[in-house]
Amino acid sequence: MTPHLELRDVSVSFNGFLAVAGLNLAVRRGELRCLIGPNGAGKTTALDLVCGKVRPVAGSILLGTKRLDRLEEHEIARAGVGRKFQVPSVFKDLSVRENLEVAYCKTTGVLRNALRFRRRAESDGLEKLASLVGLEDQLHRQAGYLSHGQTQWLEIALLLAQNSELILMDEPTAGMTVQETLKTAELFNRLKGRHTLVVVEHDMGFIKEIGDVISVMHQGRLLAEGTVREIEQHAEVRRAYLGTGGIGHA
Amino acid sequence: MIGNSKANRAVNRRAVAQVAVYAVVCAGIFLLPLWLNDFMLNKVARYLVLGMLAMALSLSWGYAGILNLGQAMSFGLGSYCMAMTLKLRTVPVHTGPEGLPDFMVWNNVPALPWFWWPFHSTAVALAAGVLVPAGLAMLLGWFMFRGRVTGVYTAIITLAAMVVVNLLIIDQQRYTGGFNGITDLAQLTILGVEFDAYASTTYYLVASCLTAALFIALAFTRSKAGLILQAIRDHEERVRYFGYDVAHYKIAAMTVSAAIAGVAGMLYTVVMEFASPTFLGVQLSLSVVIWCAVGGRSSLLGAMLGAMLVAGMQGMLSESETFLETWTLVMGAMFVLVVLFLPKGLAGLVHMLADRLFDRRPRVALAPPPAVAGTGEREAA
Repeated sequence: MTPHLELRDVSVSFNGFLAVAGLNLAVRRGELRCLIGPNGAGKTTALDLVCGKVRPVAGSILLGTKRLDRLEEHEIARAGVGRKFQVPSVFKDLSVRENLEVAYCKTTGVLRNALRFRRRAESDGLEKLASLVGLEDQLHRQAGYLSHGQTQWLEIALLLAQNSELILMDEPTAGMTVQETLKTAELFNRLKGRHTLVVVEHDMGFIKEIGDVISVMHQGRLLAEGTVREIEQHAEVRRAYLGTGGIGHA
Repeated sequence: MIGNSKANRAVNRRAVAQVAVYAVVCAGIFLLPLWLNDFMLNKVARYLVLGMLAMALSLSWGYAGILNLGQAMSFGLGSYCMAMTLKLRTVPVHTGPEGLPDFMVWNNVPALPWFWWPFHSTAVALAAGVLVPAGLAMLLGWFMFRGRVTGVYTAIITLAAMVVVNLLIIDQQRYTGGFNGITDLAQLTILGVEFDAYASTTYYLVASCLTAALFIALAFTRSKAGLILQAIRDHEERVRYFGYDVAHYKIAAMTVSAAIAGVAGMLYTVVMEFASPTFLGVQLSLSVVIWCAVGGRSSLLGAMLGAMLVAGMQGMLSESETFLETWTLVMGAMFVLVVLFLPKGLAGLVHMLADRLFDRRPRVALAPPPAVAGTGEREAA
């Protein structure tokens, strides 16, 4: 079976520094893949590569059979890739509801959207989404006034509204309370199967809740791949994390 | 969910109130001739046209975040399109009917240049007054936004483009009238109706165009495309990852804005009875930015009224004897006060009052404390 997302020998150079050097990664359709690694391992850059924020200097990136590495960001998004950023990125001047309306992107052309008035019917679904992440009472509040945790939730809701086949999450639980993290884990477990997810995360507790297969990156390469148990006992992984207190404290 | 539907209703009420306010202002504009004489009507018509120009800038600057410092380029091109066709309608003193325009005779131009030919037809000229500025803005936008030029660089490029067109018009005196512009024009006649600059017909023409443009722009901003433009203004990068082609949206905003400015330019020629290179000059173009800032750049009506207010005050102060020497000082003081205390312009002040009226509570306090887990309990209770 062809993987849903595949990176083949992908390299990225930032002024000569190889942030990602010959990365190979394959994720099955419907899988939830965790991406971990010490700081500077190239995890965020790997996500940037898939969503088109960064261009590879070598290698190829495939979504199913479609090559992504030559497309522009909006074309990649239309092909079915959604991205959550490490620093929560929402539209601060718009209300929560307007944020969701922007993310609900079934039609993307200018002319069709210029003739499209913002109807009530489609926003019913958006209100359900808002209540799924506990923002139903904040629909008309300007997103800039939300707390950090709520902003995280809003961006997750935006990705749900976008409804991409492949969702890339960069540290979705950063700044969340323990309960919120648990709720996120529950949500991700529900998304699994219907969507393919790639999650960059540091919180091992969270990874144990959600992860089937973990990929460990180190110095721009794939270091190891396996279940939580396998990874925790992997000798090279331990060595890579040495000095940061081992994987449990990463 | 009860609180939610209440909030929805408040938002709906605000939308209705917005349309109502726009309609009332437009109705007021149409009723003005009841009280004004023809001379004053011409003056007000001029301010209405400038209001239309500011409204066009509000569309690109306030909604899409494109600070177009060359907005007067579209305005001036529209104005020249109108002047060219009206010039061809006048009977030249030297050469008689069907002869060359007077300034071409003075410059020893042997025959009417090819790009003047289409302007024998008023319909073509009216179309050109919209399409030429819109097309040029589209081309400029295509180069800038495909290349992801943003922020201050957009401002510099648009300003430079306008200066180029301005210099070109001044330099090509043989074909454009140069510094003097195009003067001694015939009156615009559409379907047998003659638009004398000092008659109420012209005033109504301006008022109708302004109303139409205002509501078209309002519809555009309230469409999904308008929402996406606001999202682009807020966080351009993020919009791309939802699959929207940001360049297309920005080009569209700039083109629509240029088309409206083009129409305003055509009307300006009718009202002023001439076209001049100052219509696409730096001074006018920067004034438009100030009008928008005073009125409130993210409000179409605010920008329009801001232009009328500032341009009107400028006219009154510079003509009154008390302020003959100090009127620029008074204007300057007003700008400083508005920028310091009303960063969203006069429209921001109105919105603040509307918030009080419709939400009863200020927006920040509208939301109850975060209730991720507590919602179910409250509903059960």
